[in-house]
Amino acid sequence: MERNYSTIEGTSSGYRILVALLGLMVAVFIVSFLVAYIKGQQVWGVNNIIPWGQLITFYIFFIGLSAGAIIISSLSYVFKKEIYEPIGRMAVFMGILLMVGAMCFVMVDLGRPEKAWRLFMYFYLNNMTSLFAINSIFYSGYITLMLVYLWLIFEGKKRLAAIIGTVDVLWAIAVHMGTGAIFGLIGNREIYFSPIKPFEFLTAALTSGTSLIILTAVVTFKLTRRDIQDELIFSLGRLLTGIILVLLTMVFVDKLTHLYFPNREAAVYLFTGDYWWIFWFFQIGMGIVLPLILLIHPRAKKTLRGVVCASASVVIGVFGERAALVIPGTAHPQPFFPGKMEGPWGEPGIFPITPWETLLSLSIVSFVALLFVLGLRYLEILPARTGEPLPAEAAWKVQQGSSVSEDF
Amino acid sequence: MSELQENKMAKWGMVIDLDKCVGCQACVVSCKEENNVPHGSPEEQRSRREIYWHKMIAVTSGKYPHVRTEVIPMPCMHCDHAPCVTVCPAKATYRREDGIIVQDFSRCIGCKYCMVACPYGARSFNYKAQAEKVYHRQDEPPDRKSWGPWPFPMRTQGVVEKCTFCFHRIDQGLKEGKKIGTEVVPACVEACPSHARVFGDLNDPQSPVAQLLAFRGSFRLREELATQPKVIYLSR
Repeated sequence: MERNYSTIEGTSSGYRILVALLGLMVAVFIVSFLVAYIKGQQVWGVNNIIPWGQLITFYIFFIGLSAGAIIISSLSYVFKKEIYEPIGRMAVFMGILLMVGAMCFVMVDLGRPEKAWRLFMYFYLNNMTSLFAINSIFYSGYITLMLVYLWLIFEGKKRLAAIIGTVDVLWAIAVHMGTGAIFGLIGNREIYFSPIKPFEFLTAALTSGTSLIILTAVVTFKLTRRDIQDELIFSLGRLLTGIILVLLTMVFVDKLTHLYFPNREAAVYLFTGDYWWIFWFFQIGMGIVLPLILLIHPRAKKTLRGVVCASASVVIGVFGERAALVIPGTAHPQPFFPGKMEGPWGEPGIFPITPWETLLSLSIVSFVALLFVLGLRYLEILPARTGEPLPAEAAWKVQQGSSVSEDF
Repeated sequence: MSELQENKMAKWGMVIDLDKCVGCQACVVSCKEENNVPHGSPEEQRSRREIYWHKMIAVTSGKYPHVRTEVIPMPCMHCDHAPCVTVCPAKATYRREDGIIVQDFSRCIGCKYCMVACPYGARSFNYKAQAEKVYHRQDEPPDRKSWGPWPFPMRTQGVVEKCTFCFHRIDQGLKEGKKIGTEVVPACVEACPSHARVFGDLNDPQSPVAQLLAFRGSFRLREELATQPKVIYLSR
């Protein structure tokens, strides 16, 4: 089936206002980064007990979204399911942008961001037992692969794109499992330490990636007045149901392992401590229970609104899942010595939500959104509207007598 | 490295006798003085951003009236199998040949992975640029010439730092041919009024450290993690 892609005109006032607002947020990004760089990370909520805060939460969240988006894109370019074609290019493009966002997050979180290049340039000369160093190789390869993948898709080289796409999907799986291993291999933090963590991360990546694609597809297609097949969204919704069930199993097994044996203090802290609401309300409630109800409900799953609500809930819920790992994981005091530790060293850490850290996080999210919106304007990401004149290049090809179907 | 050569190399360790420790925290204060570790403001202490190279925890067990409180001084444990060295991506924290784990501020990128991986909470992050002067003290800061060849006397914002077993003292002492463990000791050992701390070479069977360990029951913190700390406690 031949399918044309087009850019959006970007002449409406809504589009201009959106770009202006997001551009303003980029200015906020620069300012809030400079404030943290000059005044030090004391302006954030992080402290010696909870050294990783909002930015690391967003970083693993974005890596997950990116990996999920690339895996979903493989449905159309590797497995050749025609129904997913309209969102294929968008998925790959989102994969790249979300990865760029994730890299922004992890770099501004560094105490010395100007030294970040060492991680990406020294390659194996870094400490190869460190998951950060290994992941930096994964990440640079991943971004390169995605760029090649998108370029091949734009060029219409279907077979090569399928090959690179397969490699990219496997690479995305490695990237995200490696990110999970950053936490899963830390043996002294009971909440982190788990062999299943990489797999849990991968499943969470798939749920959040699929949901974000559903959400973005519906929103962009509606706003740019393009037709979206309901069946496309519903089938993604069915896929989402399956992955959420797998995620539920993973979370259950992980927490059960931590809860079963008497050394369950950390797990009990996660369930009932200061941050119980992140776990129960966001991770379990919004990430698993609410979307499952919406996606299994016989009427809600047949409406666009039901599936979109479920997706939005999953995106927020999986963010909660990341937060429920990063923050309580280090907030729980380590048992240096048997008995009750008195004073500050025995108390769980507190992570205040501070304006500069929140502004920085939100402005990086806006930066990614800005890149996406500009991408729609200058790249042929979205399928052409029905009845829209062919783009100039395709029209030229028709005139020359070659087939448009090369362009997929 | 052969077994013989390894034995020749000193392996610095510290023994802390909890029976002698009176909990005066002179070790905490002397560490701050020696290494120019700033005193945090009350706000920083509340928000848990004060830098401690050496901390002291109090652990209670039992119920009133049979309560027992143990005061446990905790410097960096200088683990033989240090998790911080394993996870550091930039090779900024590494194990010297004599077993001391040190932190190279010029290589540290500030990712804080080591703080997450440290089982003893021995690491602190510099949340702001620290001034040269000593904090919240009315008297004059110590003469910088007497500090010894400590390579990073200035604080660097955005890097992780930790106890060094006062390696500047050890290196200087070795150069001058002094006996480490008796004539030259880390600042915390020097400051201890009750001689609860002993510093020396764990590989040398004649050292006071090894002799204490031979005669007294000893334990290390969180032994189940198999990090093999070189700070060893004698139980009360």
